Amino acid sequence: MPRRGALLALGGLAALAVSREARAFGDEGAWNPRVLLTGNARWEGVRTSAPARWSAELQIRTSAPARQSPGTVRADEPALLAEPFALWGGEADTAPLTEREVSGLRRFIALGGVLLVDDFAPGSPDGLAFTRAAKREIRRVIPEGSPIPIGQENVVFKSFYLIRRAVGRVEGPPRLEAIVRGGIPQVIFSAHDLTGALARGASGTHPLQVTPGGEPQRERAVRLAVNIAMYVLCSTYKDDLVHESFLKRRRTVEP
Amino acid sequence: MNRTFALSGDLGHGAVVAACVLALLGLGLLAYELLRASRGGRGAALGLAASGVLAVLGLLAAALRPVAIVSKGSLVGPRVVVLADMSRSIDLPSGDGTDATRRQTLERALAELDKRSGEVRLSLYGFGVGPATPLREGSARALGAALLPGERAAPTLRVRPVLGSDLGAALESIARAADERPAAIVVLSDGRLDRPGETATAEATRAALGQLAIPVHTVSLAAEAPRDASVRKVLAAGAAVAHQPFSLRIEIGCDGGLPCGDVPVVARELRDLGPPATLAEGTAHVVSGKATLELSVTIERAGTRILEVAIQPPEGDTIPENNRRLFTVDVTRDRVRVLHVAGRPTYDVRALRMWLKSDASVDVVAFFILRTHESQVQATADELALIPFPVDELFTDQLPTFDAVVLQDFNAAPYGLTKHLRELSRYVKNGGGLIMVGGPGSFIGGHYAGTALAEVLPVELDDGRSASPADLAWFSPRITEIGRTAPVLAPLRALLGDELPDMPGANVVGDARPGATVLMTHPTRRTRTDKPMPILALGEHGSGRTMALAIDGSHRLLFSDFAARDAGRAHGAFWDAMLGWLMRDPRFEPAVIDVKGGCIAGEEATLILRPREGQRGKAALRIKRLGGGEPARVREATLDGTGKPVEIAVGALEAAGYSAEVEIVGDAGKGPTTRRDFACEKGGEEWADSRPDDARLEAIAAATGGRHVRAGEVGSLPLPPALQVAAERQVAPLLPAWAWAIGAAVLLGAHWVVRRLGGLV
Repeated sequence: MPRRGALLALGGLAALAVSREARAFGDEGAWNPRVLLTGNARWEGVRTSAPARWSAELQIRTSAPARQSPGTVRADEPALLAEPFALWGGEADTAPLTEREVSGLRRFIALGGVLLVDDFAPGSPDGLAFTRAAKREIRRVIPEGSPIPIGQENVVFKSFYLIRRAVGRVEGPPRLEAIVRGGIPQVIFSAHDLTGALARGASGTHPLQVTPGGEPQRERAVRLAVNIAMYVLCSTYKDDLVHESFLKRRRTVEP
Repeated sequence: MNRTFALSGDLGHGAVVAACVLALLGLGLLAYELLRASRGGRGAALGLAASGVLAVLGLLAAALRPVAIVSKGSLVGPRVVVLADMSRSIDLPSGDGTDATRRQTLERALAELDKRSGEVRLSLYGFGVGPATPLREGSARALGAALLPGERAAPTLRVRPVLGSDLGAALESIARAADERPAAIVVLSDGRLDRPGETATAEATRAALGQLAIPVHTVSLAAEAPRDASVRKVLAAGAAVAHQPFSLRIEIGCDGGLPCGDVPVVARELRDLGPPATLAEGTAHVVSGKATLELSVTIERAGTRILEVAIQPPEGDTIPENNRRLFTVDVTRDRVRVLHVAGRPTYDVRALRMWLKSDASVDVVAFFILRTHESQVQATADELALIPFPVDELFTDQLPTFDAVVLQDFNAAPYGLTKHLRELSRYVKNGGGLIMVGGPGSFIGGHYAGTALAEVLPVELDDGRSASPADLAWFSPRITEIGRTAPVLAPLRALLGDELPDMPGANVVGDARPGATVLMTHPTRRTRTDKPMPILALGEHGSGRTMALAIDGSHRLLFSDFAARDAGRAHGAFWDAMLGWLMRDPRFEPAVIDVKGGCIAGEEATLILRPREGQRGKAALRIKRLGGGEPARVREATLDGTGKPVEIAVGALEAAGYSAEVEIVGDAGKGPTTRRDFACEKGGEEWADSRPDDARLEAIAAATGGRHVRAGEVGSLPLPPALQVAAERQVAPLLPAWAWAIGAAVLLGAHWVVRRLGGLV
């Protein structure tokens, strides 16, 4: 076992080295929708293609660089602190976070990281069980923070596209929820299965149907995902005074 | 020598009186006896009386033994303090109908005053700024020798004129001095004083003297105001804040019968290169010899700026030097206005933006390129929250309104910046700050090589087509020896020491440009000249500063496992210092430069260099005239690392604005530079108002019981009389004691015989 462990460790180091060398100059600051794993959770199923699709859509639609093969990161790993974004998704109640995971997430949030909590099963009989569990655990991470609804007025809804309401694989509520610290949404709660809307199989087909709006709704979900990425990359850029009057005018002519 | 007499040399006063009383009693008894026994003839009575009186006097003299006193001494004059005006204004014409200056009138008055040195002891002091300064202390003769007209007078009065006329401070220092109190003070001045002021002159004078109740005589050095139009005063209404208009209140004076009418006025800012920039113009309407004009000016650059206010005087103006005033304005910043332009959104852009937005002292205007020409947004324009990038507006009209421009991973070619690079370069030369932050779109990758902007960057950009824009290998930047002592890296090093996080590659840049300071280098990559490739370099260009950071990973100081050690504070510490250095924040300057006592054109000037502790090596000082040209002066001083101020004499400078730049070169090479702009004027504030002020001198004299006279009448001043002081005293008896005793016995015996003959025994 020790020998096997050593081999695994060496393999991990080699992989790290390869991934470092393979990255081009400028990629280090690129968008990377890492998936956060907690407890015994594993990243598998139809949504595993979603992060790569997210990156691809961002890169096609905007000037932002993005990692084409986003990975996973565990809440208790130092690697969580390597980048300021992580996606935490699930479809059912989740086990309580360990103290190390709470500590890791606390440091992540303290450094200014942004966490997207996406409920993969908002329409299930349990009804947002993952969202409830995530809020419970996040309360342990940020005891002083409580989620508030955010909508059109928030920078997340205007960081690239002008978005009227939040949608994902399901239509869900028109607004997102977020724990806002220092005027910046740091933990965003989506009850829309945004990841499900982004999922795409190797053949280019979508494994999950978008309801009730079909493909136009999927497009709106992709736009929300792009906006979340641009918000993470640009922070409150679109809240600047120079944009304000322009965006207000455009909102008024928007159908 | 003086000779006097005394009744006795050794008896006390009481004994002398008692002896005299006894003698008188004896004479009284004799008279009574003669009146009662009038038996003899008249002749016998007279003989009896005469012998009796002589006998009494003889006895009295024998008892007292009179003495002669010989004393030696001299007449000593009381101490009179002479306060001579040493301000710059005494080089103005005296207005007495000749070409003489007030300084020459002062010399003549002092020479005249010296003729009174037999009566008084003169102590000559100069006044200007602060306490009175002894010009020549000592005997009246020595003073007189120094004040004789001609060559010998020159050394005494050729002291450096000062930019102030604070008689109040001089009187206070004389009144509080521990040495002999003067009996009178004589002030020689033109009356154009800082203190006492025009109002409440008497009260201020008495307050300055305190307990010293002595007369202050005043001597006027100027008779009439010269024919002169001048910029009397320039007042800034409120603090000068960059980018915000502020008002200059300009007072114009017109004296000596000069017909002025409408006088054109202009306010300009002296620039590092090129002609002064006109800030505002106006016309002053002179009525009753004066006019006030308000000009609204806006200075775009913060820091020490040199402004010029000039008038166009009418024909006949006799003092052209005060038609132009140069003055230093410390322009503060309400907030540092930063233009942040990023070529694409990345975590590095995010980190810098978050820091800029978090600092309340920074007003950031940001433009990020969010889509390229190839981007497929799949939406109509109305569905996008994008606004056009106003490149032409930003880099022409708006550019001077920014204190600093940050180009982060921004490719100049696709977004129309290339045509504005020359303007951006001029912006730096005129005092703007520029930061180029690395990324694929920066430096060579951003098409900056060979452009006007490349000339102002602190690193060279390899112009060869084969030049690789980036080095993809991970590395950890090294802090150079200079970087270890540079104040600008001190906050970062306080948190991290010399260890920095690994960086994901670097922009390839060339050698540091001459004069640039390299704070961080690549550990392995070399330039064409085989020097370590600069990663962080600072440079000065014109009056602006530039910074090149050839990495796009500074966000790793904010967000990484490494950054978590200090809770990401290193990122803020790094950028706060970088922007602070760019804005010449004194916290990050290696030294502070001051001009000792102000700069007077044509007089020896001295700069004081106050280095930070730890700065050691050679300090090379270059003084350049604002507007361009070669260095006017180059000097060198040695810094020992203790932080002690160093005075550097720079000689006489012409009237103009100057920049003094100091470069500290230590063992490890060239360190960061620092700079200060200053102005040299021929007369400055002291020449701004050339009118003498006799009324004030009169008020000073009247307040203290002194007298006010013109310079020609200085001999008539009522100085206190001299006192006789004894130095030696000799007491000698008129006769020996035995002679007095024998004389008394003979006279007494003779009187006895006469009494026997008169039948009075």
